[in-house]
Amino acid sequence: MRWLFFVIINLWVLNGALAQGKFLAKDGYVSFFSHSLLEDIKADNNQVLSIIDTDTGSIAIQLLMRSFMFKKALMQEHFNENYVESYKYPKATFSGKIKDFDTLNRRNGKTEIVGVLSIHGRKKEISTMAMIEFINNEIVLKGEFWVEVADFDIKIPKIVENNIAKSIKVNFELHHKPYN
Amino acid sequence: MSGKRFYVVLSFIVLAVLALGISLYLYNKPHVNIEKSEPEYFLTAQELITEYQKHEIETDKKYSERILQVKGQINEISINKDKSVIVLKPTGEVSSVICHMLPVENTKLLKLEKGDMVTIKGKCTGYLLDVIMVRCILEE
Repeated sequence: MRWLFFVIINLWVLNGALAQGKFLAKDGYVSFFSHSLLEDIKADNNQVLSIIDTDTGSIAIQLLMRSFMFKKALMQEHFNENYVESYKYPKATFSGKIKDFDTLNRRNGKTEIVGVLSIHGRKKEISTMAMIEFINNEIVLKGEFWVEVADFDIKIPKIVENNIAKSIKVNFELHHKPYN
Repeated sequence: MSGKRFYVVLSFIVLAVLALGISLYLYNKPHVNIEKSEPEYFLTAQELITEYQKHEIETDKKYSERILQVKGQINEISINKDKSVIVLKPTGEVSSVICHMLPVENTKLLKLEKGDMVTIKGKCTGYLLDVIMVRCILEE
């Protein structure tokens, strides 16, 4: 009987430790911004999924391309149907590491994130600086980086070439809570 | 200017104005009005989740970008000025349906609480760990 008790306690502790190592955001925010002389285009996504493993400092982010909300319905339609082909590639993902996560030691500050960004079925290694904050048991990541449209084989028709920037600014803010 | 030439010029102008009008209309085309649209599928939160879990790719082709009406039990409500969220989660299920509500629904949301059964209409955008719906409204 005692061994059973022991096993249960062990499982419980182990489970707790595992749960502690994962921080999750389901309503993360990612936006992108394209500036050109003709028009500015902005789209917001408030349904970004992000998981941080605090034991290793690894981070995995997923978002749905169709969750990007544009001001103009036509832009959203063109974005999904013609440019990023959401019916073929519904998700964009990032998988990487928060550098020196363990030495950050729960202090707020700047940190580098490196990893592979996948959009439109194409992969690209990226690195960006981000603000990391530890507030009330939350891990918050904030930052911005630039992506080149051409890196992801996204074809923009000649006719609207001047309306869409070659480099797009991406902003993110992810509030991770302990996962249980 | 001869009469014939005048008509040719006039018809060109009419065509140009028409083309401009149509492109302006398309350019400013509003987002789909969820309130006035008829849902293409009616289902429960559990049915929607199970379908996605079984065949994610096929199910995504079927439901994403479509207007769905989903019935389920509230597991969580968060109310913000511009982004309120209702999470529908069947008991014993790990996944849920996350519904991002339109701000016009905020006053109705105040009357709801965890455990209530609700019917929500909105646009499905796909599946991550959960099914995601946007531009949602509450159906009576």
